[in-house]
Amino acid sequence: MTEKELINIPVFDNGPVSKDDGIIVIKNVTKKFGNLLVLDNISMAIEPGKTTVIIGPSGCGKTVLIKHMIGLLRPTTGKVYFKGNRIDNISEDELGKVRTNYGFLFQGGALFDSMSVKENILFPVKQHYKVNKNSGLDDLVKIKLALVGMDGFQEYFPANLSGGQKKRVALARAIALNPEIILYDEPTTGLDPIRSDIINELILKLKNGLGLTSVVVTHDMKSAYKVADRIIMLHHGKIIADGDADHIENHSHPAVQQFIKGQVSEDDLAVIRMGGEELKSQFLPEDFRQ
Amino acid sequence: MVESVLGSFGAKTIADINNIGRAARFIWAGLVASFRNLFHSKYYQLIWTQMYIIGVRSVSVIMVTGAFVGMTLAIQTHGTLASVGMEERLGVLINISVVKEFGPVLAAVMLAGRIGGALTAELGTMKVTEQIEAVRSMGTDPIRHLVAPRVLACLLLTPILIIYADLLGIIGGYYMSVVQLGINSRAYWTFSATGVEFWDLSIGVIKGFFFGGVIASISCYKGFHCREGAEGVGRACTEAFVASFISILALNFAMGVIFKAIYNTLWPGVSLL
Repeated sequence: MTEKELINIPVFDNGPVSKDDGIIVIKNVTKKFGNLLVLDNISMAIEPGKTTVIIGPSGCGKTVLIKHMIGLLRPTTGKVYFKGNRIDNISEDELGKVRTNYGFLFQGGALFDSMSVKENILFPVKQHYKVNKNSGLDDLVKIKLALVGMDGFQEYFPANLSGGQKKRVALARAIALNPEIILYDEPTTGLDPIRSDIINELILKLKNGLGLTSVVVTHDMKSAYKVADRIIMLHHGKIIADGDADHIENHSHPAVQQFIKGQVSEDDLAVIRMGGEELKSQFLPEDFRQ
Repeated sequence: MVESVLGSFGAKTIADINNIGRAARFIWAGLVASFRNLFHSKYYQLIWTQMYIIGVRSVSVIMVTGAFVGMTLAIQTHGTLASVGMEERLGVLINISVVKEFGPVLAAVMLAGRIGGALTAELGTMKVTEQIEAVRSMGTDPIRHLVAPRVLACLLLTPILIIYADLLGIIGGYYMSVVQLGINSRAYWTFSATGVEFWDLSIGVIKGFFFGGVIASISCYKGFHCREGAEGVGRACTEAFVASFISILALNFAMGVIFKAIYNTLWPGVSLL
């Protein structure tokens, strides 16, 4: 690319957290939506160059937590740091510049359906670089798509791609600006086991090949075990387990064991069984039968 | 019971005030971003695209609306004027009504339906499929990228579309009055020329700026804040049209009062008709 003009990260006042503490630091973060408490005084640090997987049941606040890491949500109380600089209290304009260091893979891909695959990948590039016809954009798109095994799909539109292909293209778009850190929100949800494994392999490839720091939010334990250097489990807005795969596998907390084994609790079973006897004798109440 | 009713009434009032505040902040941010985009060539392509979608594709429907307004006015008012022997003054009545009120208002209402609904549905779908968050996650301001080009296109093109509506309204009125109802052509234009001033034409065009801004701002706001799912998008489209429609009527009334006061101040004692 010629005539490129890099957007510099603004220099903020150094907070109490140093960049040596972690590339992203979450400090005493609480998030409420109205009266609903989603994150309850969470603190954690993301190590550079490693893959941190955040697991937990649906609705426990995983996606809310990952969105705080990139400033898409702001905490009700607490602080968020990127490389030692606070990002939870800066303007959207400043955050926009910080976000060029991140890639974010959304659960559904979030590809722009009015744009082709090529235009989707070039979107962040055109937003942050001065480009012209001789900037080698076609080569850039080819390289990014080849990284996710989708070269040749440049002129396709998202509507013509399968779920797995959409996620791979979205991943190519997420790495278009050569980010330092990539956040994955439920990357394997909705995919068959083979397509899920392709995504897992891509996560590993990007970490090992490009040295990217990765944060993966998932409830797919197979995926978590495969890609994680470290696993953090959220439960009711709190961290209840934090360690490597072995640590999580042998954790004593019943909620952790229940989650990783995919077992329903006795309380939930009791709710499901309610009315079961009636179900055996009649599918519909008598009044509804004709 | 009374406490419960009062409590829910209070909560609803607070929620409504919050929504008004949120809408005002959004609209202000949209207008500021529109102004800033004017000085950045990076956004010109986006503005051109929206101008094509909003402006060029609306010309035919706006012209049809204008033509029917003029023809209907001719049919409805001819009998009344003929009964007092003043049918040759039909032109001034039709043309002043078209350029000052019916042309701008009905063209704006038509745009609120055609453009407002499309803007809300497009942005609403982008919101529920996380595309707007994706724009933010890539370090781009969605207000500048998505809202401002649409607001600018509506602001700039609604007055031009209103001129089209006026033109076809005048032609439609002439066709019905002169060709169908047999009014003398020369008298028709003579009375029109003496009764319709440049001021009257300007009022319609100035209204267009405000109507365009209101339609785009409300539609974008509703799209950005729609609820999840297909029902959420559908409801947002309906709310956007209703809010735009009421705002157009209210703005039209307010501007009518203001322009009349200005006219009376600039040309005291001169009748508007």
